[in-house]
Amino acid sequence: MGSAMKLVTWSLATFHATVFVLVIVLFAYSRDALGAGLSGLNTFVGLGLFVALWATTYVTTSRALQGLDLIGSAPDRSGYGWRAFRWGAANGMSFLAILGIVAIFTAVSNTRPGQVTSGILLPAVFIAPFALVISAAVGGVVGLIFGTIDLGLFALAGLNEQDAEPTV
Amino acid sequence: MELDPHVLHVAIRWLHVAAMATAFGGAVTVLALSTRPDVDSAGAALGVAVRYEWLFWAAAGVLAMTGIGNLAAFGSGLLGPATSWGMTLLLKLGSVLALIVLSLPRTLAVARLCVSSGAMADSVVTLRNLYGATAGAFAVILALAVWLAHG
Repeated sequence: MGSAMKLVTWSLATFHATVFVLVIVLFAYSRDALGAGLSGLNTFVGLGLFVALWATTYVTTSRALQGLDLIGSAPDRSGYGWRAFRWGAANGMSFLAILGIVAIFTAVSNTRPGQVTSGILLPAVFIAPFALVISAAVGGVVGLIFGTIDLGLFALAGLNEQDAEPTV
Repeated sequence: MELDPHVLHVAIRWLHVAAMATAFGGAVTVLALSTRPDVDSAGAALGVAVRYEWLFWAAAGVLAMTGIGNLAAFGSGLLGPATSWGMTLLLKLGSVLALIVLSLPRTLAVARLCVSSGAMADSVVTLRNLYGATAGAFAVILALAVWLAHG
C-alpha cells in the first residue's frame, strides 16, 4: 500500500469511529439522556470500548480499502460503496464479539461456579447467533451510510475527476 | 489499590488538552509554513502537512474519547441542553462534528497534492486556505471550550 493510501485508511477509519460516536453523543444529549447514560458507565470500560471500536474500524477499513486506489482511480471509487457495506457488517460483528466476550467474562467472574453454565454460557450460546445477525445488519447499514458520505467528501476534495496519477 | 476517580478525571482532562494543543498548534504551524513565498518552503510545508494529517486524526480520536470521558465525570449532574451551558455544549459538539467531517476532504486533498506533480505555487495556496480554515475552526471550538470551563 502506498503511503498516501495508508494515510487515507487511517483518516477514514478514525473519521468513521469518531463521527459514529459523536452523532450518538449529540443525539443523546439533545434529548437530555446523556448524563444518565454515562453515569452508569465505568470510565475505564468507556475508554476501552472506544479504543475497541477504533481498532475494529481500522482493521475493517484497511480490509475494505485493500487493493483500491481511491485517490487515483475513479473505477476503484465506484466499487467502494459495496465494500463499505460488507466491511461495515464485519465491523458490527467484530465490535459485538468484543463486547460479548467482555460481558461474559464480567458475568462469569461475578457468578457462583455452579451457575456459570446454565446461567451464563448456555444463554450466551443461544443469543449469540441472533445478536451477530442484528449487529451485521446494523453495521452494514452504518457502513453503507458512511460509504455514501465518504464518496460525497471524495468529490468535495476534487477526487470526482477521471483517473489521475496512480498512487499504489 | 483502587484509583482515585479525581486523579483519573484530571488525567483524562490533561490528555484532552494535549490532543487539542497538538491539533490546533499543528494547524497553525502548517498555516505559518504555507505563508512563506519561496518554492523550497512549499515542499517543506507539504511534507509537514502530511505528517500533521497523521497526528490530526490521532488527536481527533483522542479528543472524542476523552471528551466523552470529561462529560462522564459530570455524571447525572450534567446540565441539560435547555440551559445556556447546555446550548453552548451542543454548539461545541456540532462544531467539532463539522470540523471532523470537513477535515476528511482536507486530508484527501493533501494526499492528492502529495502524489501529484502539479505546480508548488498552487499547492501552497491550497495549503494556506485549508489550514487557515482549520485553524479558524479550532479557534472557535477553543473559545467555546474555555466558555464551558470558566464562563
